[in-house]
Amino acid sequence: MTKILTRICKWIGVPGAIIVVSCGGLTWLIGCASNKPSGEVSAGAAHPEKSGAQLWAENCVRCHNIRSPGSLSPAQWEVAMMHMRVRANLTPEEHKKILEFLKSSG
Amino acid sequence: MNRSYFSFLNRIIVCGPTALAFIVIPLSVSAQDVNSTSSDYVSRAEYDKLKAEHEAMKQELEALKATVRQMATAPSPGAAPAQPAVPAEGPSENKQVVTTTSTVDELRQEVDALKLQIKETFPGTTKFLLAGYGTAAFTARSGEDPFFDAAFNALFLWKLTDRLFFEGEMELEFEDEATDLNLEVAQASYLLNDYMTIGLGRFLNPMNFFVERQHMNWVNKLPDKPLAVYDGIFPESEMGAQLRGVIPIGPTKLEYAAFVANAPGLITESDDVSEIGMLDFDNDANFGGHVAVGGHVGFIPIPEVEVGYGIQRSKVGPRDQAVENILQSVDVNYVRDATWLKGLINLRAEWGWSHVDHFVYDADGSQGFGPLSFNNNRNGGYAQIAYRPTHLDNDIVRNLEGVFRYDRINQMHTPVGFDEQRWTFGLNYWVTPSAVLKLAYEVDDKNGGARDQNAFMMQAAVGF
Ligand code: HEC
Repeated sequence: MTKILTRICKWIGVPGAIIVVSCGGLTWLIGCASNKPSGEVSAGAAHPEKSGAQLWAENCVRCHNIRSPGSLSPAQWEVAMMHMRVRANLTPEEHKKILEFLKSSG
Repeated sequence: MNRSYFSFLNRIIVCGPTALAFIVIPLSVSAQDVNSTSSDYVSRAEYDKLKAEHEAMKQELEALKATVRQMATAPSPGAAPAQPAVPAEGPSENKQVVTTTSTVDELRQEVDALKLQIKETFPGTTKFLLAGYGTAAFTARSGEDPFFDAAFNALFLWKLTDRLFFEGEMELEFEDEATDLNLEVAQASYLLNDYMTIGLGRFLNPMNFFVERQHMNWVNKLPDKPLAVYDGIFPESEMGAQLRGVIPIGPTKLEYAAFVANAPGLITESDDVSEIGMLDFDNDANFGGHVAVGGHVGFIPIPEVEVGYGIQRSKVGPRDQAVENILQSVDVNYVRDATWLKGLINLRAEWGWSHVDHFVYDADGSQGFGPLSFNNNRNGGYAQIAYRPTHLDNDIVRNLEGVFRYDRINQMHTPVGFDEQRWTFGLNYWVTPSAVLKLAYEVDDKNGGARDQNAFMMQAAVGF
């Protein structure tokens, strides 16, 4: 059992590292091709039809309870949303639409 | 000043028609006089002059009224809500009062927005947020003295520019009769482009879903943390650099994180033999000089589901006898708030493996237990389900949440010498979305002759 596990670890380790490296490389390429100031919606956005409220309801409940837009001021949401953009790996489109929603409904 | 100007205009509106009446009535009387009696008092030229003046005044009054109306609908900064208390005289007056009253709400909103804008220009409040959480807890574990406990985690967040962000987290807790201050996180993040962020410093371990996204007491649904994945076989934080981001693929998303960091230390000497062969994750000085490379990929096919895989590899141990260490984890998450469920369901599971290659500990026997050589393989993790009837009308029931967790660590064939599994049942009451009271009972089962330690736990946690 232990031996099998050791072998699996060794075997899966290399492909795992390859996945991480290739994802990084791919993103770099995509990103460089469409390098815009953060927050701008890129062409080919993933959910052009979804509203800020909908993206908020879908994304912000994934890790913790959703906090109401009124719980922070617009200026505070800017900081918290930048934090969440990095922590929750939000797309620029999600970030922009959700932030607009939070600021306008607060 | 604006306020007095505004009420002055209002007064003009009120007094205007009255004053005009005083002027116009005698005028029209005299004009009639001119026509009917061809009196000597007013000549034709004088009459025409007066009439022209009258017309000019009427126009001026109209212009004034228009200005006031304009000001009421698009108020200037600092304009106070118009006072409907001004006595209404005449039909035009009434209309004006109605118009201004209907705009009071708009004005108030505008003033609030302006106040906020002004506040935001105060130095220091624009880009900084103090967040974090506080915890108070009580634990009664069989075989141990029951104890109260408290901790405070302060999170300092700065948005320096649209691309540059800094987060620092300090934890204050009581440990061994002293207050412990730990720097948990100190990371500068820079958005290289829309899909890639670089982070430098000390950051939460991205390969471990629970640590990066669930361990905070206002997020975690039970008073204690699962075996193996927390304070177990994985590091909580890494000191180094990470690249992370997301790749949208149609409606799905692929998250990634890759990092280089100080490698864990290998414990080769200790008074406590059960620690031999274990990893020391507080290796800030990077003893051995090894570098760990790792990462995590997460796939989000629909917003409710996330499946991830994380890995970290490095050499550990003294430079000349270093051996391989591989840490891996798999995580699955399902979160759904649905009407047919009448609430919010949370399903989470994570399993991890740690492997340290064959190493000879205490080779010369000087520590009294060697030579001892083994592969150190450990694994463990948890599965948890939580449900909260958020769609019910009853305020109390709606805020209650039931939780069940199974967690386990397998480390029988290491110097620790036992496996452990636990079943934990919890009931939470959510006071606000980030303030919770937790009650839980934990059933513990260890093999290898170790003592089972069931526990009753209470915790209050507030995220802010
Ligand atoms: C990937 C998981 C995840 C997702 C998705 C997520 N959060 Fe968070 N959020 C966290 C964690 C973890 C913390 C606690 C941060 C800490 O203590 O290090 C947090 C903290 C917060 C805080 C407290 C202030 C702060 O910045 O720490 C707010 C507010 C917040 N999140 C709002 C949101 C909103 C709004 C969304 C939706 C865009 C969101 N979160 C999505 C994981 C997540």
